[in-house]
Amino acid sequence: MSLMEELRMNEESLLRTERLPHVWCPGCGIGIVLNAFLRAVMRRKIDPNKLVVVSGIGCTGRAAGYVNVDSFHTTHGRGIPFAVGIKFARPDLNVVVFSGDGDLFAIGGNHFVNAARRNHDLLIIAVNNFTYGMTGGQHGPTTPTGAYTTTTPYGNPDRPFNIPHLAISLGAPYVARWTTYHVNQLQNSIYKALGMKGFRVIEIISQCPTVYGRRNTMRTPLSMMEYFQKNSIVKNDASFEELEIKYNGKIVVGEFRNVQGIPTYEERYEDIIRRAQNES
Amino acid sequence: MSENKNFKRKATVKILEDRCKGCWYCVNYCPTKVLVVSEKLNAKGYHPPEFREDEEHVCIACHLCELYCPDFAIVVEELK
Repeated sequence: MSLMEELRMNEESLLRTERLPHVWCPGCGIGIVLNAFLRAVMRRKIDPNKLVVVSGIGCTGRAAGYVNVDSFHTTHGRGIPFAVGIKFARPDLNVVVFSGDGDLFAIGGNHFVNAARRNHDLLIIAVNNFTYGMTGGQHGPTTPTGAYTTTTPYGNPDRPFNIPHLAISLGAPYVARWTTYHVNQLQNSIYKALGMKGFRVIEIISQCPTVYGRRNTMRTPLSMMEYFQKNSIVKNDASFEELEIKYNGKIVVGEFRNVQGIPTYEERYEDIIRRAQNES
Repeated sequence: MSENKNFKRKATVKILEDRCKGCWYCVNYCPTKVLVVSEKLNAKGYHPPEFREDEEHVCIACHLCELYCPDFAIVVEELK
């Protein structure tokens, strides 16, 4: 049996197959990301009993309900605080936050910023579909300037978050961005990040044909995938300007930061406990 | 099918039809175009893809359809 066949067979054991087909719309990219994540976990040979998937509210938040490992479906935006608590209580677990852009950067934006600053030992898988999909396609903090949504019928006046740049500026040791078109690169990137320590951020540009694509000249799932195929450029040393996502513009993807050896918050905290115990 | 001497079956693509939602990424991104949109409907009313090989279109077992499927509906079974 080849490796690929083995992965596909074992994947079924990591999925709650009785709950499939899942709730995501036809052509939604979250399924592709979950597929890549589960394959990376199996390639890393992580014991399912040592893996926790935490997610917040939203379309991507539903991912926690489909994985057959211990998972938390937390309150809106609070995926990272819950994950920090889990990591403190059980430092031996691999904690993954699997959530969407609205959850991680709008409602939970402050938690993201401060957890990245402290370098908690978490893997953040941020699925960015440019909009609030579940509530009907309102504009969010990642919607590109000029995009049409239900709440911005004349074009979005806001500037979007530059997520890789934000994470790099806060000192995250691993920062990458891929689209759902780059399935193999995405899987390798998650595989690499699972073997590292610290606050690792992987942003995945995903398609939302139902509420975002429909209002922005990409009516079908395939047309959104074609947009990613034609407009993405792999560039690992991209500058701030290049990392910005422009409406209908180029998407720069790649692995922007990969540094080893930055002490995590958990390590520094253990060090303080040890020092305090020696003094008393 | 047997007329072409270079033809060698490498794999069959099994489709779990009830999970399919008809996005057709598999049909579009298959490099050898062995998947086609079928006429039949599944329980949810979508047209699932169908595995169809001929002289020009032979599965090369690249597993790309499996990776692109957002609904976990494709299993590629390699032939020994």
